[in-house]
Amino acid sequence: MRIETLLFKEIVILPELFLGLSLVYLVLHCTFLAVKKKNLLIQDSVLYLGVLVLFLSCVLVMNDCLDVLELSFLNDTIVNDYVSFSSKIVIGSLSLFCLLMMQPYLAGQKINQFEYILLILFAVLGLFLLCSSNDLLTAYLAIELQSLAFYVLASFKKTSTYSVDAGIKYFIMGAFSSSLFLFGSSLLYGVTGTINFEEFRDLLINVYPGSTINTTLPDISFFDVGLIKFGLIFILISLLFKLAIAPFHTWAPDVYEGSPSASTFFFAVVPKLAIFVLLLRIFYYSFFGFFESWRYFIVISVILSVIVGSFGGLEQRKLKSLLVYSSISHMGYALIAFSAGTLESVQMLFCYLVVYSFSGLCVWSIFLLTRVKNNSLQKQNKDLTDLVLLGKSNYMLAIFFTTVLFSVAGFPPMIGFLVKISVFLTAIESSMYFIALLSILCSVIGTFYYIRLIKILYFEKVLVGKLYHPIKLQSSVLISLLFFLFLFLFINPTILYLFSYKFSLLLSLAV
Amino acid sequence: MLYIKNILSYILVLPLIGALILSFIPSSNKSLLRSVALNCSCLTFVLSLTLWVFFNKSIGTFQFVEKFFWIPILNINFPIGVDGISLFFILLTTLLIPICLLASWDTIQVDLKKYLIAFLVMEFFLVGVFCVLDLLLFYIFFESVLIPMFLIIGIWGSRERKIRAAYFFFLYTLLGSVLMLLSILYIYYQVGTTDYEVLLTFSFTSLEQKIMWFSFFASFATKVPMVPVHLWLPEAHVEAPTAGSVILAGVLLKLGTYGFIRFSFPLFPEACFYFAPFVYAMSVVGIVYASFTAIRQSDFKRIIAYTSVAHMNLVMVGLFSFNIIGIEGAILQSLSHGFVASALFLIIGVVYDRHHTRMVKYYGGLVHTMPVYVLIFLFFTMANIGLPGTGSFVGEFLILTGSFKANTTVTFLSATGMIIGGCYSLWLFNRIAYGNLKTQYFKNYLDINKREFLIFFPLLLGTLVMGVYPSIFLNSIHFSTNMLVEFMYF
Repeated sequence: MRIETLLFKEIVILPELFLGLSLVYLVLHCTFLAVKKKNLLIQDSVLYLGVLVLFLSCVLVMNDCLDVLELSFLNDTIVNDYVSFSSKIVIGSLSLFCLLMMQPYLAGQKINQFEYILLILFAVLGLFLLCSSNDLLTAYLAIELQSLAFYVLASFKKTSTYSVDAGIKYFIMGAFSSSLFLFGSSLLYGVTGTINFEEFRDLLINVYPGSTINTTLPDISFFDVGLIKFGLIFILISLLFKLAIAPFHTWAPDVYEGSPSASTFFFAVVPKLAIFVLLLRIFYYSFFGFFESWRYFIVISVILSVIVGSFGGLEQRKLKSLLVYSSISHMGYALIAFSAGTLESVQMLFCYLVVYSFSGLCVWSIFLLTRVKNNSLQKQNKDLTDLVLLGKSNYMLAIFFTTVLFSVAGFPPMIGFLVKISVFLTAIESSMYFIALLSILCSVIGTFYYIRLIKILYFEKVLVGKLYHPIKLQSSVLISLLFFLFLFLFINPTILYLFSYKFSLLLSLAV
Repeated sequence: MLYIKNILSYILVLPLIGALILSFIPSSNKSLLRSVALNCSCLTFVLSLTLWVFFNKSIGTFQFVEKFFWIPILNINFPIGVDGISLFFILLTTLLIPICLLASWDTIQVDLKKYLIAFLVMEFFLVGVFCVLDLLLFYIFFESVLIPMFLIIGIWGSRERKIRAAYFFFLYTLLGSVLMLLSILYIYYQVGTTDYEVLLTFSFTSLEQKIMWFSFFASFATKVPMVPVHLWLPEAHVEAPTAGSVILAGVLLKLGTYGFIRFSFPLFPEACFYFAPFVYAMSVVGIVYASFTAIRQSDFKRIIAYTSVAHMNLVMVGLFSFNIIGIEGAILQSLSHGFVASALFLIIGVVYDRHHTRMVKYYGGLVHTMPVYVLIFLFFTMANIGLPGTGSFVGEFLILTGSFKANTTVTFLSATGMIIGGCYSLWLFNRIAYGNLKTQYFKNYLDINKREFLIFFPLLLGTLVMGVYPSIFLNSIHFSTNMLVEFMYF
């Protein structure tokens, strides 16, 4: 399986190498550019450079040697397989869309520092590395790389106290959860003597009840199982912190609300998939033998998340807080698939995350694109009631928003419905009837706040004369692309299922 | 003859094509929009009439069957077909949609384009519900109907309370049907497919049947509606525009009974027998309660809404008699209720367009000024009571005959509903049509015009034909019902 040629080994992390080197170059380039010319439009030019760099690294990801199932590099710390390939493609295209959608917002908010774009690219680099990390330390470093970028992005609006407050909160909670991750890793290292995922799997292969696959390896009594479980729980909690899943969600509403919308947009949509990839690698690939012990924690989180997400969103008056609670409940549904522990569940989890990320992308980009006219403060649309204007001033955008909201709510006939029932199907397949029943009832309550948005869009009379700025041609082309993606995915979901099937294949080695 | 084979898929996609064409017509050109939508829906109706013409009445299996692939990787496909049970529901849908469009010809001026598109899309979903032969696809269509109806109530409803009504409608139905979704997923997990004809060959254990029957019941009973969960119906009816009420009473309520016949009966026969007394009790309570409630309403539309509840619960009694007469009567009563209740809502719409109120107390003595209107109103009032010669009589008679075999007490109690039905219908007709003209409220009176007469004419004709010569309908229904009953007993 391993190809030992030097040439091939370097290709493994070619996209990351390219992205990193271009970032170093961009930092220098932008510094000199900013000093020299006092360029007023530096933001735009850097943004398009960043888009170019990201696009090229996506091309490099696509160009990877797909005929090979698995390739590892740097002493097995970085691995390139179908899981990392497909998640990198999704993350790369999401970030491309994000960057392009942000442009009108950044221009409108007069955020004219080149660092903003570079930080986003650094975060993308971290996410790419996170997708292909093959040991606990690399994973930790990748998480830190993206988290540090996020802390700065959250507090980027230096004049706003809310933004600084959000940044600090995010930093404290992020640092805390990272330390939990390190603590868990050190426990695992102390017990097993390794931090490599593959070696974990090989060492602990005899954990499966009644399995004596490899008699040369020590059996389970050799290790201190309690400590392994303890370490695993710490790692789990830290990653649930990062995903903002209840009961570790309390930082999320403040941080999301306070940060500049573009930053919130980015860290609400993009990183979830990468963190789930890490969760899958640790808990499915390496430690599947301990399935019964970590599953309970996940199930408790599922129950809490769907309840908190659906009831918490009911009384929100701001769009951003509403989206936070929506994201909490959606992560809860994703965790249902995660807790099922079958091959299908991994597949459905990936489908769910892809569709969730793309619908989040749509909702947030509409949120960013709509700017109220005749507003001296250049105020961003913040309250839910501001959306009344959207139905009147940009009719097509309102229709698109409705479609996406129905999809996010998991309502037929949208793609969101299909992936949601796939998740519930995995719950039923592993006999978690109570979880399925509870979360489907909570999803009805959650539907209430989506249809309240639709009510605001269509049913209410406009009292004020303010309207939205028309959106740019570039953004409208992107929006319609996404719209057709949604329609196409519903009419032909087979593509998504095939894509995710290959994703789940590699993890099947362990399951 | 080659094209006749695919006629069902043409009926299915034609409204969608119409909606697509409408979306390219500028919204300022209202007359073109209206005529395109009307022509499209009329063409669909003509096509569905040919469906009836070419329908083979002497077999009970599915006809015009076609199969499209959708998600072959999960073994979920898109088969369509009709049998005697679903045929008339499709005809009812395609008949009522042009009538709805005609009924809102002048009244809807705001957002006309969206309105027409919503109706055509809803027609697509409704035809889809009745002809699809896959459980998951059925659920998808069943739920999708909520979206256009939610928008129709919310955008074109008349008062501020419409938002509450739209929420009621949406959430009640959704809450009922998510339970059904879980059962569908369980069935998919057990059988490996949701294809209807494959599911018929599978039998579930007794406990599974009971649990799944109940979750299906939660969904269909909300749609029918049975009594504790009927609260959304009067709200939605009162707030919806006339055409919305028509389609709600005419077709949407039938989704519940159709679901019972199509899925609950053949999939869970044992549970059906087990829960029959429960359904009887709820239906009888529904009939008596709804009829009494109808007497003390002051809103014209609310009265008709409650009569709908009573009549649909009578249909439930017929269905759960589990014999051919009862089930055929139930289907015929569903159809005739689709004609009569729709016509009554249109009758309300006529006076509402002129006077903009639905309170009964403002009306009186209309017979002096609107004789043709009152004549039509009288006919449909009599049909609502179940006068011999109208479709309702045949339906109710068959239902009561069928349920007499099953349970005489239930028959007796259901029959009281017909008497109370006579009370409120005649009382309502009396208040509206006779007495003195209340000129202190209204100054101008205008009898119905040609367009409005043309709306009523097909419904009137259909009700009469159904009452005088019901065999036209029963012949097509008979073999499918026969197969269903045999399937349940053996």
